[in-house]
Amino acid sequence: MNRQWTWACGAVGALIVFALVPLLANSYYLALGVSLLYFAVLATAWALFSGSTHYISLATVAFFGIGAYTVGVLGEVLPWPLVLLVAGTVGVTLALVVGLSTLRLSGIYFVIFSFGLSELIRQLVTWYEVNIHKSVGRYIFIDITQAQIYWQLLALTALVLLTGWLINRSRLGLALRVIGQDEVVARHAGIDITKAKLVMFAVSALFMTLTGAVMAPRWTYIDPAIAFNPMLSFEVVIMALFGGAGVLFGPILGVIPFVLLFELLSANFPNYFSILLGLVFMVIVYALPHGVIGLLQRRMPQAPPVATMPQPFAMAAKGAALEVRNLRKAFGGLVAVQDLSFAAAPGEIVGLIGPNGSGKTTVLNLISGALPADAGDIRCDGRAIAGLGTHRIARLGIARTFQLVRVLESMTAVDNVRAALAFRGRPIWGVGAEAVARGLLARVGLTDKADQIASQFTYIDQKRLELARALALEPRVLLLDEWLAGLNRTELNDGIALIRSLREAGLTVILVEHVMDAIRSLCDHCVVMNAGVKIADGPPAAVLADRDVIRAYLGEADA
Amino acid sequence: MLAVDIVLTGLIIGGMYALTALGLTLQYGVARIMNLSYGEFLVAAALSAFSLYTGMTVSPLIGLFVVVPIAFALNWLIFKLLLMPLVRRAKNRDVLEVDSILATFGLLFVIQGVALVIFGGQYFSYSYLSIPVSVLGSALAVNRLVALAFAAVIGLGIYLALTRTRAGTAIRAVAVDPVSAQLVAIDVKRASAFAYALGGALVAAGGVLVSMFLTFHASMGVEFTMKALIVVIMGGVGNVLGALVAGLLLGIGETAVARLIDPGLTLAATYALFLAALLIRPTGLFGRSTR
Repeated sequence: MNRQWTWACGAVGALIVFALVPLLANSYYLALGVSLLYFAVLATAWALFSGSTHYISLATVAFFGIGAYTVGVLGEVLPWPLVLLVAGTVGVTLALVVGLSTLRLSGIYFVIFSFGLSELIRQLVTWYEVNIHKSVGRYIFIDITQAQIYWQLLALTALVLLTGWLINRSRLGLALRVIGQDEVVARHAGIDITKAKLVMFAVSALFMTLTGAVMAPRWTYIDPAIAFNPMLSFEVVIMALFGGAGVLFGPILGVIPFVLLFELLSANFPNYFSILLGLVFMVIVYALPHGVIGLLQRRMPQAPPVATMPQPFAMAAKGAALEVRNLRKAFGGLVAVQDLSFAAAPGEIVGLIGPNGSGKTTVLNLISGALPADAGDIRCDGRAIAGLGTHRIARLGIARTFQLVRVLESMTAVDNVRAALAFRGRPIWGVGAEAVARGLLARVGLTDKADQIASQFTYIDQKRLELARALALEPRVLLLDEWLAGLNRTELNDGIALIRSLREAGLTVILVEHVMDAIRSLCDHCVVMNAGVKIADGPPAAVLADRDVIRAYLGEADA
Repeated sequence: MLAVDIVLTGLIIGGMYALTALGLTLQYGVARIMNLSYGEFLVAAALSAFSLYTGMTVSPLIGLFVVVPIAFALNWLIFKLLLMPLVRRAKNRDVLEVDSILATFGLLFVIQGVALVIFGGQYFSYSYLSIPVSVLGSALAVNRLVALAFAAVIGLGIYLALTRTRAGTAIRAVAVDPVSAQLVAIDVKRASAFAYALGGALVAAGGVLVSMFLTFHASMGVEFTMKALIVVIMGGVGNVLGALVAGLLLGIGETAVARLIDPGLTLAATYALFLAALLIRPTGLFGRSTR
């Protein structure tokens, strides 16, 4: 608590000091201050969304320009606070509409789209101004001094930092970090990724729009080419990435040197501005891939892990059961799963076996909702789950691991598990979450490695971590996709014992596996698939002696 | 005759888009470099063709044989010297995508800056073969038809080279899966460098052809980059035929909007078309379901 108070007092102190600048500085330095602050807000707001989700957005200027144009149109009609309110509303509405339709685009598609969005809006505004308003530009005569602009931007800077700080500490912040690492894992951890991204996109857009509105009176004349200058989007990206977009204060570390550099270049080398800018930019990409903040962090020792008492393992009591009826899935002409039915009683371990390509992983994908089924019924505890979103199925208590391990590589083991705790049906968040996460890690044998970064883990430890994350969902049904594959003898025995202990805790397990020893010793009954069809269902000893099964695995001669 | 007019003009512009998009899809689909400075190379080639024609009275069609090999060599060097370090450093494709966007963005400013210093900000155009002929009742300049014919020949040549030759097969294999391509003894780095350079050569060819009938200026590269990107994405990354269809569609759509509604809304039309295509088929008109 004391530390927090120190921080809070420091922040308020800094705010007061910065607020005094207009009273002391001459107009040149005040203008420089305005430039610094407006880029600080934009870069921080950009990083709020893009830094965590890794969606590189070039739409900054679209929102900025909308803010500026709102002032151009309404500046002299409405009182100032109302103008800001309207600008903010328009910006957020646009962000929501655009976000809903485009946030499912990923990678390069989103980059190009976001860039196109600003060009599109610029053209539409230009067209409107020329054809309807009958003049390209607008004059803004609003009685606002440079100092007042400065103070408003300072307030926005403080607000955006405060918002970022609050979000980082919230479930939303964690959700975004997980999304940035691996969207599939995020969905399977119960995160509604569309909602999380949308909210963040809108928050980020709000600050960009307001910045545009606040800056507009400074120009006195705006036209679409000024208000929607695409350079701005790029500059913001450079600054944020240079500083380090993954950390709240990172972008500001990038803003300061760049604004000063722009100032220097445009004052001294106006003709070579763009060449020098491009060169500086390339040097940054090659020399500082993780930004200034990355450089600082590498120099600083990592904070020692906080020791907490592991808590006893809490597991859902009982009543877990899974039923699959007449399930079907085809990929084009290939029918991967055909008319498959089976059931798993509470506390049962069901083996799902068959030769490679027989459709086992597809079945798991259908159950967890990663793929939509073409036909059939899937019930968990009597409740139909087919067709629900992956994150909702995860929340209803179906957890899984992946055949090719998927951990959130740049997060610690504890954070990997906390992600699932925070979004499950009965979420745990805040102080208690860390202890529960450590308890789960202890459960899978990772007590000592809880604070290590997941990418440093060995293969078996990554598998353990994945299991801990699945267990954190407090599942009724656990889907293990070749979880025992690639383990040595000792690890295998540990793994088998671990799965057995899960059953004793009341969990239903669906085991896709090729390790026959494990199937024999663990499974209550086995479903055998071949070419998408169920060919046997019964106790392991019986099905493994079945002629059809032997034929499927070994071919006709051995049957 | 408005409809014929729109379709013909649209086809010519669309053919240019398809040709430039073909180069981009080689650079992005094979070498995995998202080249934001792509359009700058087109403008540079157009400016070179302009200088050759006005300064030394070298016809742009001859100029093609000067500019294109230079562009090939230059792009090969850029890949080797500037982009290879990024490829080596990148842990996965996403990282490389972001890194290459940022690096080529820097390159964009350098090239544009140099072009502005040399040529200044004014508009350029020259008159070459601007003799009107009547095609299906609508008047077209010969230079446009010549440009379209050259684009078609170049595009067809590349298509055949990619599908019928050993080197072309290697390039297509790398486009599908760079890791597996190594397993069948394909030198992925060489194929990538070659594909990148070939992409650079194609965009230079596009630049020379476009310069024969369009007015251009030093800082309009971004516009071409965006259009090429849209065509590539609409057609499906790495899909030659898709790029052709998407390019032609875009050209016709744009011309229709310019003629029927307002020339100021062409970009808006482009993006509307692009968005619609992406929302209906997120991996492009002819794209595969996974990237």
